[in-house]
Amino acid sequence: MVEHGEIRVVHRGGSKINFRQPVFTHDSRFLLCASANAVKVFSASTEECVHHLVGHTDLVTGLILRPSNHLQVFSCSLDGTVRLWDYDDGILIKTFVVGFPIYSIYASGSHDGVLFLTIPAKNDKRSDAFQLVAVQLPQSSEQLVEAREISAVLPDVSANPGAISFGRAGQYIASVCGLHLEVFFFKKQKSFRFSLKEENNKGIKNTFTCAACHPKEDCIATGHEDGKIRLWRNFSHKKEYTHSALHWHHDAVGALSFTPEGTNLLSGGVESVLVLWRYNQETQKDFLPRLGAAIAHIAVSPDGSLFCTAHSDNKITVIHSYVRVSAVIQGLVRGDRIWTDLVVDPRSKALVMNGKPGHLQFYSLQRDKLLYNLDIVQQEYIHESGLDQFEVVKVDFDAGGNWLATVEERKQNSAELELNLKLWAFDEQTQSFVLNTTVPAPHEDRISDLSFSPDRTTLLVSASRDGHFKAWALAPPTDAEDQSPSWCCDFVASYHGLAPHCCGFSADGSLLAVGFQEVVTVWSTASWELLTTLSQPPGHVRNLCFGRLSCSKYLLGTTTKNQLCCWNLLSCSLEWSTSMDVTLLLADPLSENMAAFCFEAGSTDLFVFKPSEPRPLFSHKAVCSGRVLRAVFSPREELLEGCEEDVQWLNSSRLFFFTPSMDLMTFSTKAEEDRLMASSKQLVIGDQVSMTPFNLLLGKRGQTEGQEVAAGSERVQPPQGSSAVKELLQTPAHVLPSTSYLCSMFVQSLLISTSDKREQNNVTEEEMESEKEEDDSEDEETQSSAVKPDVASGGGRTGDPTRPHGLTKAQTKELRRVRKLDYSWLRDLD
Amino acid sequence: MASDGGSSSLQLPCVFSPKSRQYLALCAQDGRLRIWNTDNKTLHQEYVPSAHLSATCTCISWGPCRTVKEGPQRKKRKSEAVQVEERADLLAMGTAAGTVLIYSTVKGKLHCTLDGGHTGGVNCVQWHPEDSLIYSGSDDTNITEWDLQSGKTRSVWKADRAAITSLCVSPDGKLLLSAGYVIKMWDLETKEIYRKFTGHSTAVTTLCFATTRPPDGNGLYFLSGAAHDRLLSVWQVRDDGKDKNSVVSFTLTDEPQHVSLVPSNSKEEAVRLAVVCKDGQLHLFEHFLNGPCKKPLSPSCTVQLSDTKDSPAPIPLLAAALGAESRAVTLAYGNHLQPVMERVELNTSERHICLTRDVHTSLSLSMDTNVSKVKTPVVNAKSKVLVPGLPGHQAPKVASQGSEKRKKDIDTKEMSIAERLGEIDLVTVSSEKGAPKNAVSLQTDNFAVLLVQGLESNDPNILNKVFQNRKEFIIKKTVARIPLSAVLPLVQQITTRLQGHPISARLMVLWLKAVLMHHTSYLASLPDLVTQLGVLYHVIENRVKLFHKLTKLHGKLYLLTAQMATNTNISSVTDVDHAAKLVYEEESSEDEASGDEALPDEESDVSQEEDEMMVEEEDPNSRRESKTNGEEMDPENESEEE
Repeated sequence: MVEHGEIRVVHRGGSKINFRQPVFTHDSRFLLCASANAVKVFSASTEECVHHLVGHTDLVTGLILRPSNHLQVFSCSLDGTVRLWDYDDGILIKTFVVGFPIYSIYASGSHDGVLFLTIPAKNDKRSDAFQLVAVQLPQSSEQLVEAREISAVLPDVSANPGAISFGRAGQYIASVCGLHLEVFFFKKQKSFRFSLKEENNKGIKNTFTCAACHPKEDCIATGHEDGKIRLWRNFSHKKEYTHSALHWHHDAVGALSFTPEGTNLLSGGVESVLVLWRYNQETQKDFLPRLGAAIAHIAVSPDGSLFCTAHSDNKITVIHSYVRVSAVIQGLVRGDRIWTDLVVDPRSKALVMNGKPGHLQFYSLQRDKLLYNLDIVQQEYIHESGLDQFEVVKVDFDAGGNWLATVEERKQNSAELELNLKLWAFDEQTQSFVLNTTVPAPHEDRISDLSFSPDRTTLLVSASRDGHFKAWALAPPTDAEDQSPSWCCDFVASYHGLAPHCCGFSADGSLLAVGFQEVVTVWSTASWELLTTLSQPPGHVRNLCFGRLSCSKYLLGTTTKNQLCCWNLLSCSLEWSTSMDVTLLLADPLSENMAAFCFEAGSTDLFVFKPSEPRPLFSHKAVCSGRVLRAVFSPREELLEGCEEDVQWLNSSRLFFFTPSMDLMTFSTKAEEDRLMASSKQLVIGDQVSMTPFNLLLGKRGQTEGQEVAAGSERVQPPQGSSAVKELLQTPAHVLPSTSYLCSMFVQSLLISTSDKREQNNVTEEEMESEKEEDDSEDEETQSSAVKPDVASGGGRTGDPTRPHGLTKAQTKELRRVRKLDYSWLRDLD
Repeated sequence: MASDGGSSSLQLPCVFSPKSRQYLALCAQDGRLRIWNTDNKTLHQEYVPSAHLSATCTCISWGPCRTVKEGPQRKKRKSEAVQVEERADLLAMGTAAGTVLIYSTVKGKLHCTLDGGHTGGVNCVQWHPEDSLIYSGSDDTNITEWDLQSGKTRSVWKADRAAITSLCVSPDGKLLLSAGYVIKMWDLETKEIYRKFTGHSTAVTTLCFATTRPPDGNGLYFLSGAAHDRLLSVWQVRDDGKDKNSVVSFTLTDEPQHVSLVPSNSKEEAVRLAVVCKDGQLHLFEHFLNGPCKKPLSPSCTVQLSDTKDSPAPIPLLAAALGAESRAVTLAYGNHLQPVMERVELNTSERHICLTRDVHTSLSLSMDTNVSKVKTPVVNAKSKVLVPGLPGHQAPKVASQGSEKRKKDIDTKEMSIAERLGEIDLVTVSSEKGAPKNAVSLQTDNFAVLLVQGLESNDPNILNKVFQNRKEFIIKKTVARIPLSAVLPLVQQITTRLQGHPISARLMVLWLKAVLMHHTSYLASLPDLVTQLGVLYHVIENRVKLFHKLTKLHGKLYLLTAQMATNTNISSVTDVDHAAKLVYEEESSEDEASGDEALPDEESDVSQEEDEMMVEEEDPNSRRESKTNGEEMDPENESEEE
């Protein structure tokens, strides 16, 4: 059992994209999601993944745009590092080593060079207590930097990233945990704590679930377990605080978010309805119902034009600000568990398993993309926790993909089990599945296995815990009226009242093996005669597999008492057996090979062998920790030509399996990787986009925006030359955006360029200006307060990474203005 | 040839993405570029070029697939690498205004625009397979080589006297074919003419290399098709330069519109070709390229599509792409604005294949999935529901005699004449036996005879008449008199009727009871009793299954209603209570024994009523129990005996 360097286990996708709140980039074009150990950059318009930011060695737990440079993003992970990326090019810029597992990350524009992280309290990994700390990012040009200047901000916070939010201009930070709301003011270095009673007299739960701070006013919105949203005001005083409640949700509020201007509050929960509350006019609400699954996170783009919701079924919905769904990024749907076996659809070669409640999902293994969900149950799903609803539990395709059999069940309690067996025919004319036969209550107890005969005769066998197995066959129409044939039961059998657990057909479909607890019975499908019984006590039979091709005379079975047996069907005797705890036994449909996943010492090993010889062709120790319960062989699109014995088994099929943490993994050979590498030379293409009149007019500011902010001095070029103007004037009017839209942007761009005189000239902007000044003064204060923790931790701040020193007040103001300006419209014009 | 150059622009560009055929890029009549996903058959993206009306898109070409960068790590860390297959991203579009647009499907936006290279409209665009170069041929008779890194033209050369209508870069990236007045082969390094080929009289619309360039000279072939030409020509590039005429030609039914070709890498490998013609048919060819072949080759397989209307009309095919497997073909058909994509496995042994497709329903099915990603399969009234109790829900349960049963069936069908005679005898004997009783009661005998007649002729009228009888003694007598041979048909008739409406089933129970009372011994003597009565048993079992629960529910409901009734009565009863207490004081000790019995009656009506209720509650139960014992337990016992 040598570890083979040739073949390795690789992650194939299907990872969660709803784990943490997605982040919109500044121009709203991309959406960043934490996905297992990587960060994925999705295009918000095309739903495609543009980049993978790979580097973390553990789960990525948080993402935030760098406040001082919007083209960069921080990500934190349980591996104890914070990494800085350039998401546009997919480059890792810097790694900060913090040294503790990080659960969430926060940053504010007014706390430059400081990150706020949630780490386990008392540096104890076991306990469930978490604390919020501020980490000073050191100035260094190196790639790998140690960031050890940690100072505590708030003890006892929730690990849920939605429970902490920065207040207006970063002056304070609000955190909810249990029944407490805690607000920490950076200026005063003081925190206020507000508590709610555990239950009021009506017995309603008051526990906090999430918090969001208004970006422009002193107002904190908190969501509660009972579905209420409370708006807290005047919380800078311990006693005189006020709060008002908004109540629409009937179950816990899952996520809350304010729009950037603070005009709207978004909330969502189990109801899977996005509620849009008008701030200060809370009676006016907009709803976006039927989002499909419970809302776990809500994010808003910096310009407020797009919202996005992350749902519990591994989906991200991108929503326009006028409350319409514009795009859906759907990952592999993962419910509580996989009920069905993994099946490969012979037609589309997609992986089929249960997806959304009551649906089957078709997942493209080649492209790591969900194709669609097939609605099997066809009943309205009620979005409420604690309801028992129909779930697809078994699925199988026949060899040609013409028939699909599904079993759905609802178990209110074990006594009144509801079962439905449905048989769907694939209609070539409409290219869709058509329901052929429904069998309510096909068995009296749960169906333990469902299997189609592999040859072209349509025969389905269902084994149930009620002690029977039934064979279903396609019967010719009984009446003259209905032309189409339908399914009916052909044969029922039991064996000494034992419950069958598994069944399997031989490759030619002539034999059926059914495992009744300790006994394997072999039946002839032609005459339904019991041919022989095989038994290898002790232990119940767990899996049954017939050999294929040259090994078709063998039947393999695994038992619960750690045995793998191989029977010879010609002599009806045991050929060989070995002792191992096989959790899953699979036969490759295209070759003689069998794969056995064995559980040993806390991890799963894989053995690939031929039934004719009890010697593994390939073995891989510890493919993952825990038991592998679901795996499937999928045919390759292009055959490989591996010659060595230990890679040959991967030539015609690939083996996919799910780890206990529900990651989809596969095995890849070196040859395959090399081939992939060889074809992967990157096309380098200049990113010169179309010279539209506006582009000429406004230059390439979109791309250089970040640098402009950093430099703070460069201004917009005035309209260049007369050619641009000419082209603008010559372009047909119907191709142009509306004049009002253009004009305001155009005028604004001109206004900025004359920054020095603006304060005197612009009467219209005076109001904003005064607000700015307020901001400024507050900023200064908060900055000073942010320094304090540093002092406490003993480290001095050496300098600011991005903002140059010695800026005048006017320049700072200018900077802020520029940052707020939105150039995303430029790109829309392309 | 040159005068006909315009005809190619009438064709709407329609191209499958390379390798996995995941996308179909299509530029429809409205000038918009639409990218369709062939996996889930939905519209993936739509892009409107800013000048889509003035400078319409004339040709599309997918760039070579790129692999998503795996990041910097090349460590052999277990289960870390995110492995993503290569995918199609960039798309080059030539426009009638002479510009080339590069569109990124991943970002969903224009990547860059290349202009300033042509003065006329672009007719064809081709990517270089290795470097980031693009070649475009134009109406201005020039070929332009674009460098994508800088976005500038690298070289422009005049290639022909007429407009360049088609281009093709060889798979190794060293040669370029161009078609104008003549077909020219260029050496890409020196930009010099390598060969010239003449033959087509109309504008060449299709050019593609059929083989990779072999190390020895004579194995390089390419294919060309022209407008209004129902032949595809194959040309051989020979070392000696004697390659003036085409070596092989393929016959088509109309001018070629879309060509998909799997090149052969060696002489042993056949070239596979799929050509969609202008008339909407698909022709498949397979040919070993090895020197000239005099006769034009006809297709090995022709595919047509038709709709499902009463008078089928053909559905035009738009494009077809061959897959790695020999029989799998990806098809696009229907309208340019809303094409339907499908992967089919064709049975190429047949020469003509006609596929019937319902374009409208498949379109309406796919449109919904665009946002919700949920497909709803068709559920119509035609689907059958097999509830428990219906035949087919459960087959007769057999342990191991299944084979015997089948043999028996065959036996009974083929009865020998002797057996038949014997049976006739049996009938006559039984009727003779019944004769003496005939005199006693004509009525019942009539029914017995009727029943036998009805069973033999299977006449529903007669049977209905007999089975409508409700009187128990008539049923009993009728059943008692029927001949033994009629018992089994009767049981079968009863079984089928039991599965029908519950009301008629109730009547049938009486009949069944009578049969079992009189003919159990005969039934028990049958060797294949289990198979004969299996269905009946299951029907009864399924009907009785819920009975226990129902009686329970009935009892509970009765209890509840009785409780309600007593509650309303209680107020009136209270007065009586007081009166009863007064009576008690005056009683003597001797009378107590007798008074005890009367006491509860008068003293507390509540308790008495409860008692009553208990009695009444038990009543239905017992009644039903007796019923089940009488009627339904019997058959159960009967079949359980086996």
